[in-house]
Amino acid sequence: MSRGAVKTLDTSIQLEMRALLLLAALGAVAAATTENFVGHQVLRIVPSSDAELQKVQELQELEHLQLDFWLSPRGLGNPVDIRVPFPSLQPVKAHLEANGVPYSIMIEDVQALVDLEQMQMLRRRRFVPLSTSTFDYTSYHTLEEIYAFMDLLVAENPNLVSKLEIGRTTENRPIYVLKFSKGGTNRPAIWIDTGIHSREWVTQASGIWFAKKIVQEQDEGLANILDQMDIFLEIVTNPDGFAFTHTSNRMWRKTRSKRSGSLCVGVDPNRNWDAGFGGSGASSNPCSETYHGPYANSEPEVKAIVDFVKSHKNIKAFISIHSYSQLLLYPYGYTTTAVPDKEELHQVAKEAVAALSSLYGTNYKYGSIITTIYQASGGTIDWTYNQGIKYSFTFELRDTGRYGFLLPASQIVPTAQETWKALEVIMAHTRGHLY
Amino acid sequence: MPGLRAALPAALLLLSSFPPAAAERLPWPQVPGVMHPLNPSHREAVWAAWTALHYINSHEASPSRPLALHKVVKAAAKMIPRLGWKYYVHCTTEGYIHGENAGSCFATVLYLKKSPPVVHGKCVHAQNKKQIQEEDHRFYEYLQHQKKPITANYIPDSNGNIAHDHLQLWGLAIVGSSYIMWKQSTEHTGYLLAQVSSVKQQIRKDNAVAFKFIVLLHEIPTQQMNVCHMYLVWTLGHPIRVKYSCAPDNHGLEDGSGQDSGSAAGTSHETKGNF
Repeated sequence: MSRGAVKTLDTSIQLEMRALLLLAALGAVAAATTENFVGHQVLRIVPSSDAELQKVQELQELEHLQLDFWLSPRGLGNPVDIRVPFPSLQPVKAHLEANGVPYSIMIEDVQALVDLEQMQMLRRRRFVPLSTSTFDYTSYHTLEEIYAFMDLLVAENPNLVSKLEIGRTTENRPIYVLKFSKGGTNRPAIWIDTGIHSREWVTQASGIWFAKKIVQEQDEGLANILDQMDIFLEIVTNPDGFAFTHTSNRMWRKTRSKRSGSLCVGVDPNRNWDAGFGGSGASSNPCSETYHGPYANSEPEVKAIVDFVKSHKNIKAFISIHSYSQLLLYPYGYTTTAVPDKEELHQVAKEAVAALSSLYGTNYKYGSIITTIYQASGGTIDWTYNQGIKYSFTFELRDTGRYGFLLPASQIVPTAQETWKALEVIMAHTRGHLY
Repeated sequence: MPGLRAALPAALLLLSSFPPAAAERLPWPQVPGVMHPLNPSHREAVWAAWTALHYINSHEASPSRPLALHKVVKAAAKMIPRLGWKYYVHCTTEGYIHGENAGSCFATVLYLKKSPPVVHGKCVHAQNKKQIQEEDHRFYEYLQHQKKPITANYIPDSNGNIAHDHLQLWGLAIVGSSYIMWKQSTEHTGYLLAQVSSVKQQIRKDNAVAFKFIVLLHEIPTQQMNVCHMYLVWTLGHPIRVKYSCAPDNHGLEDGSGQDSGSAAGTSHETKGNF
């Protein structure tokens, strides 16, 4: 089963190597004629015997090979890293193999890393990219960068995209929703939100990608949907929490609301909705990660969406995106009672998951919240379903625990691409079965 | 009347063997001794499989290739009177670090009320066991030869990256944390390793390799992040020795001060042996 490209390119490197590459990259920018490292490899040898150590030390004598020892031989058990220029690869490997010295390839192509480093440096030099075409979708971003992206997207597509402020957070940050509409008045709509749990970084990152995808989309499927329906996309559903994950605690999940009488901060925004509120599957302890809050909709982040949904009155599909676990879920979470539309939702989920898997073979499970993960009360889609939004779904994106919330940035785009396939199925089904 | 008398103790037996959180379970008939097949994607089957793998990872103590759950193939559960629920799982596995196909395991997991789960597992390895042993051996010797203690922070980092140099250290953290996760797992609470906050080697006079870890364990379904201080001693060819102390990530009291290391009011455990 493939799980998306987790390449060795996202290897970070030791200080001296980084300095070397920086030097090389800067050199490349300054004068385009300086050295290039195309095809150079970095080999690692860990000598485990005196004989092996000697063979490696011999290599140092062979000047014509132009070997660059990034880590010199130090003794048994200590790694020796050698940058080998392309023409010397054959003789060096032959020398090692003939003498039974095992080696591994740490860097397949030094130039590729140099290029990457250079691109990253260029990106860092500009705080705000000048257009959504130069925005880096393969990196994680700060709140400011995401908000700037939204403004760029609106400016570039004024006839399709607008930005709505639906409320303010506890710490007074604006809560923004992007509206994608080809016109009409109060058309039936699809709602997608990401980042309600702030530590689930791949979700906000995917939300950014979805926004760009919607404006770029040329094919019939999305065009058909937008001819009849609007799409609302809330990329950072928990801005206070998200800012906190960048500045203080990468593992922060909840909102940042404070209440007198408790030292602990924050409410779980996915336990704060008015559906089985306060029941089993949420905690009444303010210090708990699943604290439901003092009352339903106590959190401004939740209330903003509730008010929006109630005043819009025409949302037909509601998709709330989390990570991780690789699941597609439908209601209920607060009770074992099946929803009346269970058969249809189960079928849609089945098709959506099949579409998702077709891209990279990523394995998803699907079912109702309570049977598939655990009982959870006061959850988003339980409330939206009870409001009459039949196509209410929750995603849990990659992965299944190897990196968990700390999903490597290299997996952002593959995750967003495959998730989009599933979203297309749900949106198309909604459009074909408007109620 | 003799008939009624005989029936009463049996009824009491049935009552006493109801697991405490019966309300959380789907309405299966709780008849002792009957094997209930489970949907392989049912959460209890998945978590039983993870509990088994945590046990296997900590007992095989191979930092080069710890195992992760790929898929539950088949699962069933049986109520054992006076003890608890016993899960039977057949699952496929993958390499924890690189995700390669690693084979499959059959395991039984008996959840007890006051002791760690009893796990019996047998795995079929798709990988070259000799190669794995050699990698472990190489890593072990490398660690033994360190004059300056190896230290590192945040594995993986906030962007999910693990430096190539840190991959085997990550494997060692998985092995040690698996011990903790196995011991703490219950039928309704499971764990996954979220991050190594810090790791510091302790140079020892004997042959063993020792590390002080601070790891973050993600607890499901409470969503809590538990901060565990873990002292790990690895002697090649012997079971790993772990001493640990865990507490919930004390986030409420911090305010912009970064990751808290947890309060002293946690659970403290050690394996047998001298440190």
